[in-house]
Amino acid sequence: MADAFVIETSDLRKNYGGVEALRGLSLQVPGGSICGFLGRNGAGKTTTIKILLGMARPAGGHARVFGRAADAPEASVEIRRRTGFVSDDKDLYDYMTVDAMIRFTAAFYPRWRADLEQRYLRKFELPLDRKVGALSRGTRTKLALLLALCRGADLLILDEATSGLDPAMTEEVLQALVAHVASEEMTVFFSSHQIAEVDQIADHVAIIDRGRAVVAGALDDLRESFRCIQLVFDGDAPAPSFRAPGVVRVRRKGRVLTVLSSAGAERVLDEARALNPVSVDVIPVTLKEIFLETVTAED
Amino acid sequence: MLWYKSWLETRWRFVIGLVLLMFSACGTVLAYPRVVALLSAAPRAEVRGEIGRQIREGVELARDYRGYVWSQWFRQNLMQMWTFFAVLLASGSVLSQTSGGGTVFTLSLPASRNRLIGVRAATGLAELLVLAFVPSLLIPLLSPVVGQSYSVSDALVHGACLFIAGAAFFSLAFLLSTVFSDLWRPLLMACSAAIVLSLCGQVFPGVSRYGIFRVMNGEVYFRGGGLPWLGLLASVALSMAMLYGATRNIARQDF
Repeated sequence: MADAFVIETSDLRKNYGGVEALRGLSLQVPGGSICGFLGRNGAGKTTTIKILLGMARPAGGHARVFGRAADAPEASVEIRRRTGFVSDDKDLYDYMTVDAMIRFTAAFYPRWRADLEQRYLRKFELPLDRKVGALSRGTRTKLALLLALCRGADLLILDEATSGLDPAMTEEVLQALVAHVASEEMTVFFSSHQIAEVDQIADHVAIIDRGRAVVAGALDDLRESFRCIQLVFDGDAPAPSFRAPGVVRVRRKGRVLTVLSSAGAERVLDEARALNPVSVDVIPVTLKEIFLETVTAED
Repeated sequence: MLWYKSWLETRWRFVIGLVLLMFSACGTVLAYPRVVALLSAAPRAEVRGEIGRQIREGVELARDYRGYVWSQWFRQNLMQMWTFFAVLLASGSVLSQTSGGGTVFTLSLPASRNRLIGVRAATGLAELLVLAFVPSLLIPLLSPVVGQSYSVSDALVHGACLFIAGAAFFSLAFLLSTVFSDLWRPLLMACSAAIVLSLCGQVFPGVSRYGIFRVMNGEVYFRGGGLPWLGLLASVALSMAMLYGATRNIARQDF
């Protein structure tokens, strides 16, 4: 499973009324990876996840999970049998107790991990006899995570799983997630607009903006390939048009010209030197900078 | 476990309906001696027109215990209350916010939408079956208390007619619940449909002969004409068509 793509979308499109939520999203998530799915609010993250889980139908393109078409009803049931999911609002049954909620969910999964259930009940200190509707947001998130982690799933999809949690609770949830993935062979696809948590636990990243993937790949490769080239001139910086592939953005400010490249610095440097700058610096780029530069590039 | 979930979501509506209907059944039986005592005053009432005809018919029916039970219980109390609870049990369907939250969680489970909606409909219909039969069977059970007897088979036949034909109101509310996400619109619209049909039957007596309420109360059977097979079959077909429409509606929806 490690080499295959667990999630694949191709030219995925979705409209809600006159609004284009997805505009040709192409995405590949390798098996065994922890893939952070980054994007601003309304970028199309939740819509993508809903299509992957068969809750919404694409208007065009294809979405495949475990090699099965996500919009085929029978295949979708099989996909969901192998997938753990936590929604952004931790949508559970308020009228059930924690214990009933666990028993209810376990009944759907033949590979339910009773050992993990006991472990997470202790770790998260979940009150078995309390109604779900009476739980705090943090405890509710922990319950939702338990219900997703104990399914014996091959894929875990988390949609803004830590939204609304305080930093301590967020850290606790992330640590539990990392520890779980370290001990179980599974793929994790988690959407977030918290760059720090993606940076903390992901090894792959996909950045979506206005319904399209603008950056995707292994996080180490992205850190390696993205470079910021800063050129300083004697007078005002020129306004060149770089022909080098991978130029994401060029910024001029006084004597300084800043170029962000997604394909390394060499080709840009070749062109930049012809402009006779007084100094040239190549600076590594953080995930936050990659995110901010790519999602605002079209603004 | 989907059955358990559906039960949890509907149990209070069901239990309240069952208790109310059982109280009503007890009241109907226990009131009979007082009704008999009042019958001597009834012939003095001289009301003309359709309402007068109905009053005179009611009085005549009440002179006989079987007629009284059919008129008061199967034709009025049970049919009206049961119809309301049929609509109430169907409203706020499996994938609406009124089902106690968890719509997205439910859809993330490895169960097809047809199964989700099928279990919810089956649970509601099973509860309605109990609401139709259990209070009705109280009638033969309690009748000796007032020195009367009532046939169990009559109770079963009327209960069956009520359930089979009345399931159309459940199906209507169920279908509407796949269109509207709240509890109230399906409830009010299905109740309105029932009230309009009932009023049509009273304003146009000729039309009521073909109405669904006449099938539900088993009038043809009561008057010795056998079971209303055609009406029952038509009601079943109508219910199945609306439930199928509900499944198709859910199948094509985005959540």
